[in-house]
Amino acid sequence: MTASVLQATDMPTRRAVLPKWLAGIAILLPALAFLFTFLVLPSIILLSYSVLTQSESGDISLPLTLSSYQRLVSGPAYRHVVMTTLRVSVLTSLFASLLAYPLAMAIAYGKPLFSRITMILVVLPMVVSVVVRTYGWQLVLGNSNTGVLNWLLQLIGFGPAPVKVMFTEWAIVIASVHVFLPLMVLPLAASLGRINPSLNEAARMLGAPAWRAFLRITLPLSVPGLLAGLTIVFSLTAASYVTPQMVGGNRGLMLGVLLEQQINTSFDWPMAAAIASVMVAIALGANVGVEWLVGRRAAARLRRSRAR
Amino acid sequence: MAARLSGGGGALTYFLAAAGLIFIVSPLVVVVALSFSEASIATYPPVGFTTAWYQRVIVDDEFRQAFLTSVTLALASTVASFVLGLPAAYALNRWEVPGARTIETILLSPFILPILITGLALLQFMALLRMRDALTNLFIGHVLITLPYLVRTVTASLKQVDRSLEEAALTLGASPWRVFWRVTAPQITPGIAAGCLFAFMVSFDDFPISFWLSNAENMPLPIYLQNSMTKVFDPSIATMSSFTIMTGILAVIGLEKLVGLRRAMSV
Repeated sequence: MTASVLQATDMPTRRAVLPKWLAGIAILLPALAFLFTFLVLPSIILLSYSVLTQSESGDISLPLTLSSYQRLVSGPAYRHVVMTTLRVSVLTSLFASLLAYPLAMAIAYGKPLFSRITMILVVLPMVVSVVVRTYGWQLVLGNSNTGVLNWLLQLIGFGPAPVKVMFTEWAIVIASVHVFLPLMVLPLAASLGRINPSLNEAARMLGAPAWRAFLRITLPLSVPGLLAGLTIVFSLTAASYVTPQMVGGNRGLMLGVLLEQQINTSFDWPMAAAIASVMVAIALGANVGVEWLVGRRAAARLRRSRAR
Repeated sequence: MAARLSGGGGALTYFLAAAGLIFIVSPLVVVVALSFSEASIATYPPVGFTTAWYQRVIVDDEFRQAFLTSVTLALASTVASFVLGLPAAYALNRWEVPGARTIETILLSPFILPILITGLALLQFMALLRMRDALTNLFIGHVLITLPYLVRTVTASLKQVDRSLEEAALTLGASPWRVFWRVTAPQITPGIAAGCLFAFMVSFDDFPISFWLSNAENMPLPIYLQNSMTKVFDPSIATMSSFTIMTGILAVIGLEKLVGLRRAMSV
């Protein structure tokens, strides 16, 4: 309807010099050309290195080989890093979602002042550099008594330095939850805000206790926001560098750090490119996979409602 | 929206949310508190109260240079993203462009691709082209990460515009150009300003792009900070970090004033 009105009014008055779709392409061209030149093309070149061979002098050329991938899959050290990355990413997105629910509920349903304060404090870390936030966690989680957490625990009577999480996977999980929490809270709050309040009221009026109304109505209807949040947090954690580098140490080696080591320490570009390919595959896989799941869920619901 | 958290469940939600807020602010508070410590090493507990670190950091040439580099980069990349992103998003949302969905996916692809890899790919590409000017390379890299924010914000703002106003203006004989400037633009300006501010902060805070593309002469603030953390162990690191936290606070106030945080974040 809209398009036809626009065209009908447009044609007699202004004789278009270009057909509209062509003008559209023309106006899109600068942005597309920029992205193609500096993102798509460089990424393809980099990822193609993963199947090429690096000579002694460092030149990268034919023959084609899968040896970098082979090493990545069969070397126990490399496989360990892949597993650590996946484990940390899964744990981070799970903990972030648990922490995000009450915050998102407070934003969507809380008293105006509390909702506003929550919103401000959730967004604030998003505009503070990851380096600074992770530095904060270095201070909080420090393994000796000069770490904030250990200092506080000692003050209230736990022995000297009871918490030793720094330079473990758990330190990465804690700091990553903090870094990516806003990206879980915001889609969740948006999802919760779209739920029709009368559904909840009806459930309560018909005698459902609050927890039941939450489990049967609020929770299922917030799944789109939850899935969006889980996808973003999972793929960004799997691709992160700063946090694992600063708080992970050798026991929390993740793909991003391994990639950087291949470039700056081993100068092994094909290996770095293979790691990059795995990271891109994880990110794309998470995004495409969830989209597919959501599509299937919607289709299933449509079938069910037709069957009724 | 009316408050709908009540009873025991409501109290529990407030309690858990408050605990979550403490988790969110604690690493930031810890940094700011340390920046006033009189001790000569950056450990807890802080000792006494002094503004000496601030006085020292504020005249530190390297810190000022890094801050300036970051602000310049952020400004330039936001402007460039605006110039590239606004027309693109407008064409996608208002004109019948073939393959609009695919084009939108491409425009937003920097969101999905790991930024660390985007930066590395660009580094290698620039080396192949023999482009050795770090500032130019940084600029291009930062446009890559700010552009999708502009495209997304402009799209979101355009979707909120009442289309019937645009159609009415067209029917009454206004040219499409005039319709854009007199009807569409005033309605999308606050949203786009908020988007620009957010894009500015994305560039200002970036680490993974600058990590690959910066050099000793052109070092944005986050890179400079991370470098310093491995060499300097006094509270001046906390002080420099506090400056970036304050910049973040200013940005949040700006977003809240422009369109309100909830609209800026589409919540």
